[in-house]
Amino acid sequence: MNEFELLRNITIGQYLPTGSYLHRMDPRAKIVAMIFMVAAVSFAPTILGNACLLAACLLIVWLGRIPLGYAFRGLIPAIPVLALLALMQLLFLGRNYDPASPVVFRWGWIVVTAAVGRLVLVSAARFVELLIVTSVFTLTTRTTELTHGIESLLRPLRRLRVPGHELALVVTIAIRFVPTLALEAERLMKAQASRGGRFDGSRWRVVDRARRLLPIVVPLFTYALRRGEELIVAMEARAYTGGAGRTAYATLQGAPRDWLAPAAALAFCVGMLRAPFPF
Amino acid sequence: MLEQGQGGLSTRGIVISAVLAAIAIFLGASRLGFIPMPTGINATIMHVPAIVGGILEGPVVGGIIGTIFGLYSFFYATTPMFKDPIVAIVPRIFIGVFAAWTYVAARRAGREWSAITLAAIVGTATNTVLVLGLGVARHYLPSRVAWAVGLTHGIPEIIVAVIISLAVLLSWKRVQKREARARV
Repeated sequence: MNEFELLRNITIGQYLPTGSYLHRMDPRAKIVAMIFMVAAVSFAPTILGNACLLAACLLIVWLGRIPLGYAFRGLIPAIPVLALLALMQLLFLGRNYDPASPVVFRWGWIVVTAAVGRLVLVSAARFVELLIVTSVFTLTTRTTELTHGIESLLRPLRRLRVPGHELALVVTIAIRFVPTLALEAERLMKAQASRGGRFDGSRWRVVDRARRLLPIVVPLFTYALRRGEELIVAMEARAYTGGAGRTAYATLQGAPRDWLAPAAALAFCVGMLRAPFPF
Repeated sequence: MLEQGQGGLSTRGIVISAVLAAIAIFLGASRLGFIPMPTGINATIMHVPAIVGGILEGPVVGGIIGTIFGLYSFFYATTPMFKDPIVAIVPRIFIGVFAAWTYVAARRAGREWSAITLAAIVGTATNTVLVLGLGVARHYLPSRVAWAVGLTHGIPEIIVAVIISLAVLLSWKRVQKREARARV
């Protein structure tokens, strides 16, 4: 019966309460700091720069008092994919990537340049760094803090017609709806199975597998849209008029020291992108 | 019922974006949205909610659903290519937007089912082309591999997306017009 247990196996944003500085930090500051760190990691092109970023990521794990096993949980299943990516880059990029770079290895048609070698290391390091940044963020931030943070950060953009409150509400409703959909999908799968339906099958029988998905996915869409219509009526019956003039029971009150983290992340981001690393 | 507009997003827009984004998240979290292919890489239907949202409520709603799908795929990615925000988030924003524009343009010229089919093709192709294109631009994939993946996975994804979009939207539009009736 395990294949029908969808609800139990779905986790969105696992929170690990350790009461650290990162946990207590204002979510707005944490979101901004995360964006700067992601930008720094995404655009750092050198090995030395990525080594510094990796050290910074380990510092973040220590600051959040997250056990290393949690922060690196996604790494072990990804090792075969990382190896495949490195192999593809080494085999196929060759002289197409930075033709001026010196050749360090040549065997038949396989040509590996110094630039390709650097790219392989930078791609792998970037994956590990982004894995740590996103894991630490989700492990230290509750989903309610996340939506409050998004709403508060987007509030100044209201004059540009960016609906911050509404976007935060979309995220809140979406997260709330996932378990409801999982329950409905479980019910649909059991209903199909009781009539002889099957959901497994060989990787080679693609059409069959896709066809088996339809009796689950199509009613799931209809169910979600129908529940959506009910919610629209419920919200309008209660005179929901959006975020303008709305006050909140819980307001975010960040201390100035909360903003040290995004300031440090910004300085790090600018430093990483402008520092003249030799390799 | 009178629609209440608020900052460019109505109550209907908020709720439909949310429930369809929830389907995208659910399809990813439960792995139901992945169809294993003989190549070892999975084809996906996680982008279909963005297409359905774009067709039902327009480009803004389609864009929001795509963005949430992109953010989910970035945060929970297990492969290096999708752990890059430029590859995981940026292309997904445009799935629902392009599907919505295609639907509006095709609806003026033709019938409902052909407009939905065209929108689903354009939406899925947007996802495939932009993800693989940015994957090549960010040096995760050599262009030859990207072409091979695009052809072997893009076409089955388009076929499945068209079937699901047609089945969902044609039946839903009948429900809304109160034409759908129980047969027993």
